[in-house]
Amino acid sequence: MTGPNVSPVVAAPDDSAAGPLVVACLRITDLRATVDPLDGSISRDPLGVGLSPADAAGLEQALRMAESWDGRVVAVAVGPESIDPILRDVAALGVTVVRVPSAHDSDGHRYVAELAEDEHGLAETVLAAVRPFGRPVLVVCGDRSVDRGTGALPAFLAHELGAAQALGLVALRSDGPEAVVVERRLDAGWRERLRVLLPAVCSVEGAGVRLRRASLAGALAVADAAVPVDRSTGRTAAGSAAGTGVLHIGATRPYAPRTRVIPAPEGHDPRLRLLALTGALVAHDPPTVVHPADAAEAADVLLSFLARHGYIDAEDVAPEAGAP
Amino acid sequence: MSGPAPGRSPWDGISFEERMATVDFRVGARAHIAVDAEVCRSCTTKACVSACPANLFAPTSDGGILFNYEECFECGTCYMVCDSEGAITWTYPDGGHGVVFHHG
Amino acid sequence: MPEPRTDVAAFDAVVVGAGPAGASAALALARAGRSVVLVERGPFPGSKNVYGGVVYGRVLDGIIPGWWDEVPVERWVVRRSTVMMTGTQSLSVDFRTDAWGAAPYNGMTTLRSHFDAWLAGKATEAGARLVTSTVATGLVRDGAGRVVGVRTDRDGAELHAPVVIACDGVNSFLAKEAGLLSRAEASHHTLGVKEVLDLPPGAINERFGVQDHEGVDMEILGCTRDIPGGGFLYTNADSVSIGVVLSLPQLAASGVRPEELVADLKAHPTIAPLLRGLTLREYSAHLIPEGGYDTMPALAADGLLIAGDAGAMTLAAGLWLEGVNFAIGSGYAAGQAVDRALTAGDCTARGLASYRADLEGQFVLADHKRLRKAPSLVLSDRVQQRYPGLLCDLAEGMFTVTNPTPKAGGLKVTRAAAARHGVTLRQLAGDTLRGLRIFG
Ligand SMILES: Cc1cc2nc3c(=O)[nH]c(=O)nc-3n(C[C@H](O)[C@H](O)[C@H](O)COP(=O)(O)OP(=O)(O)OC[C@H]3O[C@@H](n4cnc5c(N)ncnc54)[C@H](O)[C@@H]3O)c2cc1C
Ligand code: SF4
Ligand code: SF4
Repeated sequence: MTGPNVSPVVAAPDDSAAGPLVVACLRITDLRATVDPLDGSISRDPLGVGLSPADAAGLEQALRMAESWDGRVVAVAVGPESIDPILRDVAALGVTVVRVPSAHDSDGHRYVAELAEDEHGLAETVLAAVRPFGRPVLVVCGDRSVDRGTGALPAFLAHELGAAQALGLVALRSDGPEAVVVERRLDAGWRERLRVLLPAVCSVEGAGVRLRRASLAGALAVADAAVPVDRSTGRTAAGSAAGTGVLHIGATRPYAPRTRVIPAPEGHDPRLRLLALTGALVAHDPPTVVHPADAAEAADVLLSFLARHGYIDAEDVAPEAGAP
Repeated sequence: MSGPAPGRSPWDGISFEERMATVDFRVGARAHIAVDAEVCRSCTTKACVSACPANLFAPTSDGGILFNYEECFECGTCYMVCDSEGAITWTYPDGGHGVVFHHG
Repeated sequence: MPEPRTDVAAFDAVVVGAGPAGASAALALARAGRSVVLVERGPFPGSKNVYGGVVYGRVLDGIIPGWWDEVPVERWVVRRSTVMMTGTQSLSVDFRTDAWGAAPYNGMTTLRSHFDAWLAGKATEAGARLVTSTVATGLVRDGAGRVVGVRTDRDGAELHAPVVIACDGVNSFLAKEAGLLSRAEASHHTLGVKEVLDLPPGAINERFGVQDHEGVDMEILGCTRDIPGGGFLYTNADSVSIGVVLSLPQLAASGVRPEELVADLKAHPTIAPLLRGLTLREYSAHLIPEGGYDTMPALAADGLLIAGDAGAMTLAAGLWLEGVNFAIGSGYAAGQAVDRALTAGDCTARGLASYRADLEGQFVLADHKRLRKAPSLVLSDRVQQRYPGLLCDLAEGMFTVTNPTPKAGGLKVTRAAAARHGVTLRQLAGDTLRGLRIFG
C-alpha cells in the first residue's frame, strides 16, 4: 500500500502540479462530550478529542480517491489548539493539514452557536483555508458529527463551490478523472448507486472502511511538527474585532416556524374540551399522497401545505422574482 | 463467599454497564486477547471470572468461557491469575486503540 | 494486506513507554544532547496509566527546579490519614501540617493524563522525539544477542539504537522477553481498582476540612475482607479518587469482585459521609508490581536497561503507595547511565552497570532496601486481618466511657483486645519492633 503522492509535510501549500486536490473536512471534537440535562451546556474534555467514525471513514475515502487520481489530500479542521495532536496524526498519513482557529473553546455557548447557527459561515471559512492549495475536485466529510451538528455543512460547501453533492454514502470509487461512483443505503437493504460528476462534495457514513495507520516514518516525521494555522481568512461577524484571523461566527437565529393559535374550546366538561382541542371525533381529510415529478415541485407542495395551514406567510412561498 | 449477581452491583445503585460506560474505550479492529474455551473447559478455578475488573469473562453452560475484548483495561490480571498454559493469549491492542484513561 | 516493511530509523537511544520513568529517561538523554525517541502505545502520555493519586515531588527538585510552579497539580496534600478499620470501627492517625502546603511542598494529587503528559512535554522540549499510538512489540537483537532496537506495530518497522530503555510498566513484555522478568508471577502483583467521583471544590473543602488547593491523602488498612491489600482515598480539585489494592492470588481465590470491595469501602461508616451522593466519573484498574527489593529483577542486559514499574520499583504495601517518584528517579538515572555508556562506547550489561550502583546510592533503591521486608509484613496475615481489629478495639476500650467503673489500665485493655483477635502480646511486640526497624 503506498501513501498518496505527497511527502508527509505538515505545512506549506504546495504547487498545483501535484495532482488533483481532495479535501477532507474534519470536525475534531470530544467524542464523549456530555450535555448537562438541566442547563443544556456542553462540557468537553480535550483528552477526549478524536476523529469520529464518520470523519475517519471520510479521511480514508479521501486518501483512496487521491491515490486513484495520483492526487493529494488536504485535511482542514476548525477548532482550538487542543485538536492539534489529532491533526498531527492525520499529517503522519501524508496529508497536508491546516487548522482554522476558533474562538469558542472556553465558552460553551459560542460553541453551540458555531455548530448550529452559521454553518454557511463555517463553509466559507473552511474553503478559504483550502484556497491556497488549489481548487478541490472532491470534498469529503463525515455524514454526522458526534456533537450534534446540523449536517448542513456539506450542502453549504457544495453551494460555495458550485459542486454536486451526494450525502450519506457507504462506498465511493473513482470513475475516471471526471466522476465518482457512490453508493448510498436505501430502505430494506437496498442500495442506490449514483454517478456524480466532479467537482463534488460527498459525506460518508462511519462504516465500511477503517482509517489506515500511519507508517513509523510518517509518525516520526510529524512527531514534533507544528500544525499550520490559517489566520488569513477570519470571517468575522459584524461588531466583533475584524482581522484577528480567528473564526468568529455571528449568531444568526435559527428559523422557527410560528406556532398556530387555536382558540380555547367552549364549555366546562373536561372531556368535551379535550375532544374539541384534539379534534379526535372530527372528520379529517384523508392524508394527501402526492408524487411530485422533481425536487422543485416537491418543495412547492411542501411550502404550500405549510402556508395553507398557517405555519408560514403565503407571500414567503411566492416564487422568486424572475422565476418562471 | 457471596458474590454479586453477574453484571450488577446493587449496593451503589449503578449497574456494571453504567460503570463501564464511564470509561473511554477506542475499540480496535483486532481482538488483542484471545481465550481458548477448550482449555477453560477443564479449568476448575475459573479465577479470571471474578478477578477481571472489567468482568469480561463469562462462563458458559458447557464449562467454557465467552470472552469479549472490547471493554478491557489492559491490566494483565487475567493472564496472571490463570494457571492453565495456553488458555489466554494476551497482547496490547494496536497503538492508539483500547482504553484511554482521562482521570488515571 | 501490505508486506510487513522493515523500515528502520536510528537513534542514540530508544525509550519505550512515556510514563514517568520513560519521560525522565528521555529527558536525561535529550539534555545530554543525545538523539532519543520515546515510544508510547497510548494516544497520549498517561492515557494507559492509573495510580492512586499522589506524587511525592522531592525527586523532581534536582531534575526540574521550581517544578511546583508549572506542574499540573490538583491539590497539595496537607493532611495524611492512616486509617485502620473493621466493618464497624475505624482508628485514624491524622497528620496535618501547613508546611506541606507551601513550596517546596511534599505531595500533590494530580491525574496521570495531565502529569505524564507534562513530564513527557519536558522531554520533547529538551529535544526528545515522542511517537504515540505505537506499540513496541519486541526487541531487535544483533548477531551477538545484544539488544539493538525495538520492533513496532506500525507495519513491523523498527527503531534502532545501541541501547533500549524499557520503561514499559508493570507488565513489561520487553523485560520478560529479555529474561529479566518472569512471565507471570501473580503473587508479586496487586490489582488496583479506582473510582473517581465528582465532588465540587467547595464541598471537598467542607467535607475534608481543607482550604482551596489543599488536599487529603488517606491510606486505609482492614477494608479488603480477607484479601491482603489496602485502600486509598485522595482529593483532587473537583473529584475524589477512592480505590483498593488487592493481592492477586487471594483475590482470585476469594471469588469476590474487585468493584464490590470498593463498594464496601465506600459504604463504611467512616467513609460514607464523605462521599454521600456522588456520581461516578471514571472507573479504572491497573496492576502494581509488589515485590519490594528482594524480588527486584536484574536491571540491565546487553543493550537494555529497565526502569520504573518494569523493574518492580514500586513501594505499594498497604500503607505506602509510591512508584511515580521511584520511576522518575530510576528513569533519569537510566538515561544518565546510558549517556555515560555511549560516551565510553560500551553498552553491554557491564558498561551499563553504573545504573544499579547509582540507584543503590539514591533514595530509589535505598528506600527499597530499607523497606525490603515491608511488603511481607504489611501483607502478612496478622497485620492484614488482626491488627486493624485489634487497634480499633484498643481504641474503643480506651475511649469508651464506662463510668462509674474505673477505666481499665492500658495493658489490661491491650491484653483483652489482643486475645480477642488471636494475637499474643509477644507477636504484637515482635511486629512493632519489626515495623520500627523497617519503617522507623
Ligand atoms: C492503583 C494504583 C495506585 C497507585 N498509587 C500511587 C500513588 O499514589 N503514588 C505513587 O507515586 N505511585 C502510585 N502507584 C504506582 C505508580 O503508578 C507506578 O509506580 C508508576 O506509574 C510507574 O511508572 P512507570 O513509568 O514505570 O510505568 P507506567 O506509568 O506504567 O508507564 C508505562 C508506560 O509504558 C507504556 N507502554 C507499555 N508497554 C509498551 C509498549 N510495548 N510499547 C509502547 N509503550 C508501552 C504504557 O502505555 C505506559 O504509558 C500506584 C499504582 C496503582 C496501580
Ligand atoms: S482463562 Fe484461565 S482461569 Fe479463566 S477459565 Fe480459562 S483456564 Fe480458567
Ligand atoms: S486485561 Fe484486565 S480488564 Fe482486560 S480482560 Fe484481562 S483482567 Fe480483564
